[in-house]
Amino acid sequence: MATTATRPDRTTATQEFLHNLRLLPRTLKDAWFRIGHTPESEREVSQATFHNLFLHIHSVRVHVRTLAPAFTLGLGLISAASFVVLCITGVLLMVYYKPSTTLAYDSIKDLHYVVFTGRFMRNIHRWSAHLMVVAVFLHMARVFYTGSYKKPREFNWLVGLALLVLTLALSFTGYLLPYDQLAYWATTIGANIANSPRELTDAIGISTWFDPGGFQKRLLLGANFVGEDSLIRFYVLHVFVLPVLLIMLLGVHFWRIRKDGGLARPEEPMGGPAEWGGSMKRVFEPLATKTYGLMALVKGRRPTVNRGPENTVMSWPHLFWAELAVFMLTVAICLILSFYSDAPLKELANPAVPENPAKAPWYFLGLQELVSYSAFMGGLLIPLIAWVGLALIPFLDRRPGGEGVWFGTPGERRVAWQSLLFGLLTSVGMLAFTVNFGWLRNWFPRIHQLWIIGINPGSILVLLYAGWSLLVLKRKDSVRLAAVALFTCFLIGFTVLTYFATIHRGPNWQFYWWPSQWPVH
Amino acid sequence: MNDPSTRFRWVLLLASLVTIVYLVAAALRENFLAEWYTVQKEYRQLLQSKATDEQGRALARDFRIELKQVSVPRLKAVDRCVSCHNGIDDPRMTDVRQPHAVHPGDILKNHPADRYGCTVCHQGQGVATSFRDAKADDAYWDYPLLPRELTQASCLACHDIEKLPPQQVALVLEGKKLFDEKSCASCHKLGGRGGTLGLALDNEGAKTRHQLIMVNFTPPYTTWRWHQAHFRDPGGVVAGSQMKNPTVTDREALALTAFMISLRQRDVPESYLAPDKIEQKARALHPQPLSGERLYRNYCFACHGDGTYGRWDTTFRRFIPAVRGPSLLATADPAYLEAQIAQGRPGTQMPAWDARAGGLQPDEVKALVAYLGGGRGTLRSAKDDNAPVLARGDANRGAALFIQNCAGCHGVAGHGGVAPELANPTFQQAASDAFIVTTIRNGRRGTAMPSFQPRVPGARSLSDPEIADLLAFIRALGPAARKPQTALVPNDLVKSGGSR
Repeated sequence: MATTATRPDRTTATQEFLHNLRLLPRTLKDAWFRIGHTPESEREVSQATFHNLFLHIHSVRVHVRTLAPAFTLGLGLISAASFVVLCITGVLLMVYYKPSTTLAYDSIKDLHYVVFTGRFMRNIHRWSAHLMVVAVFLHMARVFYTGSYKKPREFNWLVGLALLVLTLALSFTGYLLPYDQLAYWATTIGANIANSPRELTDAIGISTWFDPGGFQKRLLLGANFVGEDSLIRFYVLHVFVLPVLLIMLLGVHFWRIRKDGGLARPEEPMGGPAEWGGSMKRVFEPLATKTYGLMALVKGRRPTVNRGPENTVMSWPHLFWAELAVFMLTVAICLILSFYSDAPLKELANPAVPENPAKAPWYFLGLQELVSYSAFMGGLLIPLIAWVGLALIPFLDRRPGGEGVWFGTPGERRVAWQSLLFGLLTSVGMLAFTVNFGWLRNWFPRIHQLWIIGINPGSILVLLYAGWSLLVLKRKDSVRLAAVALFTCFLIGFTVLTYFATIHRGPNWQFYWWPSQWPVH
Repeated sequence: MNDPSTRFRWVLLLASLVTIVYLVAAALRENFLAEWYTVQKEYRQLLQSKATDEQGRALARDFRIELKQVSVPRLKAVDRCVSCHNGIDDPRMTDVRQPHAVHPGDILKNHPADRYGCTVCHQGQGVATSFRDAKADDAYWDYPLLPRELTQASCLACHDIEKLPPQQVALVLEGKKLFDEKSCASCHKLGGRGGTLGLALDNEGAKTRHQLIMVNFTPPYTTWRWHQAHFRDPGGVVAGSQMKNPTVTDREALALTAFMISLRQRDVPESYLAPDKIEQKARALHPQPLSGERLYRNYCFACHGDGTYGRWDTTFRRFIPAVRGPSLLATADPAYLEAQIAQGRPGTQMPAWDARAGGLQPDEVKALVAYLGGGRGTLRSAKDDNAPVLARGDANRGAALFIQNCAGCHGVAGHGGVAPELANPTFQQAASDAFIVTTIRNGRRGTAMPSFQPRVPGARSLSDPEIADLLAFIRALGPAARKPQTALVPNDLVKSGGSR
């Protein structure tokens, strides 16, 4: 037999079996970790990182700036961590959730009242979803204000924008699943936003032949109204299609971070000390005798031949500690929020009893405010302009400099503050004006709808922002500063509109100072 | 801070500790601090203290602390009320506090909890596991827990109210009686019969608080609190309500509320229905005709009162005719009255009452007309219609007379005002010339309509030709259908002249 040949002399098969059994923990560990023991030297650490599927996504060494909390604020990691939390709690919720209009609501009630940890899991799922949306927005702002989208990271900025859309889509599709009044009417509003091109086609009278709005709405809902077909569509999107897409794009996003040379950072002179922990020290001590394998080199903007990994530290353990810390921080935040605040669940969806006000999920409320002026502008054109504008940023602002530093271009901070003020004043002023004096339809009741589509508070805000940005472009003679002006204005406008529609819009979309003043109906 | 990751390790440690603390806290809250857990521990002690024989001791020993529920799929009920109300079927639990006490009465004998559940009668959120959520009067739940005194309203889902022991459904019975007494069906349809001024009430009990106007209200926003307040003062609860104040006491308002809550079309499987309920449903398909008096009381009284006097209605801003006034009955023939009742008066608050509208059968309309004449007035029959036939009048002259004598109350173009609308198509079609002429001559006793040929010497009086002119003008007010179809209707009726 073949095995007898390898068996040491004077041992029986039984002895060999027992010997191997004794060695099992070690051989298993060996097989698992490939190097068989806790890595000791930097070389072994590199190997351990490199040879592990999950750790492999990190480079072996990272720049110390990557670990500076004040630089990234951990926002990207928080987004990813909340996505992990969402996946885990989501799968647990799927075990009890039944995607049917007759069963969905009851299954959520059961989750809430009797399923072991069900209520807590649902709360965590809901809070981490909110957290993810917030973190994704802030992450985008961080990347923008640190100029991190610049070459060679333009493409990753686009991937990030796609991830933003996916995040919102995931959040929105999850909104319908409990099939309560909140879900039903928020989704109805969302579907009507999808239907918003109808306003334009109606105004020019071609809806009968060409109706992209109606098509979008039916594509989304599978019917003209929210119902069984919509629920199953949203469910499939929410638990399969969108998460899979998001995971794939997330993979691309991470992979591009590595391939584009890690997080953005300013150019550094070769070698030399680095600031760490308040003092300058040599983080990396080059050894004359040591040669570095390719694995130890971080791919920067240029080949790093003959260049030491100055100002870098080993990913294992420093980066991993940081990642774990942010992950657990995210979990802790979700848990605290979930402990004190239950996810909402209203009455069973009832198409006969509309919610008033029927509000979309909070991150769409800014859009809903715009839609209340003009469905076409607010629901399609302005978001499209904003999104395309965001996508174009890295391709229009191509002058290097200021990467990886908050407000890194000269004068940037000043422009940002001015734009913040400008954006705040114009958006608040426009809202105050509209609330107090109404708009074209109030003044000229018989005016053609095309006028309102063209001239409404939303489109005027866009024009004001664009004008402001052009002014900065002319005055400061810098594309980057113009982009900062526009981005800041849009961010502030979005925030103000979202806040305004959340707090100050009541039944019939009337203005109220506080939700407690809403008339009960 | 030599190691760059020291602070991350601190953050990790703290975050992990917070995570563990909150996980433990959540687990404790869910399992050991839950309301039902405390209640069941207390109940177990009760069982032990009440165990006198072997059976009782076994019951106490086998009692497990766990969430309990009654699941009745056929009634779509999953009721976890029994997680706290453990003693509902234990006759020993009479002297204990809620939620341990035995269910009062002997209802459970015929309605065992495992077959009926709890919420089918009590409403409330059965799936909830805390009292606050189960009561649900401030939670997002369509049917909160009914107050004790209103629970009887649920009996009607499966029983014919007439066949139940009256003391068990006393409040609903009282409400039902009041509903007839206050003539609510004059405006509100119930079972396909009734007026159309108000909303149909067939499914009133199924309404949720979101379907009622709660503006002038303070929480808790339950439908029964709304109904009670609304019966006391409809206009105070719903601004601009046209509903007449039914003038009821608090107790009567509660009874009417109980009746409203009982009006709920529920999808109950037939095996749950009492045989009398099935008979009641079958009977409803072939309603027995009611007597004229009963009909008048149910469907006319709210507006017309006892019918002997016409009156001005401040809400409707309209004159309500004295339908049992002797002079009307002396003038009108039964066919005219039947037409008025069956077709109503379009444009006024008087709805149509025929089978397609108000739900009255032709025989019932006849009975109603007979009742109208059965009192002080005597109905003329169509046969002895011997009113003088006048020469054909001239509408132009009639117009001037109309302005002088009639327009003050009936409106310049006959569209009514204080007095009935003469241009009304139903009136024009059903009223014979003789009826109109006699009314002008004799007036209507008990109403504001005077006689225009008073038998008082020296009083202002219209001659027969003048009345003929008036008639011609009044006929010209009628709908275009009575005129030649080809004629263009002139704007100025005064110049167009009569068509007859």
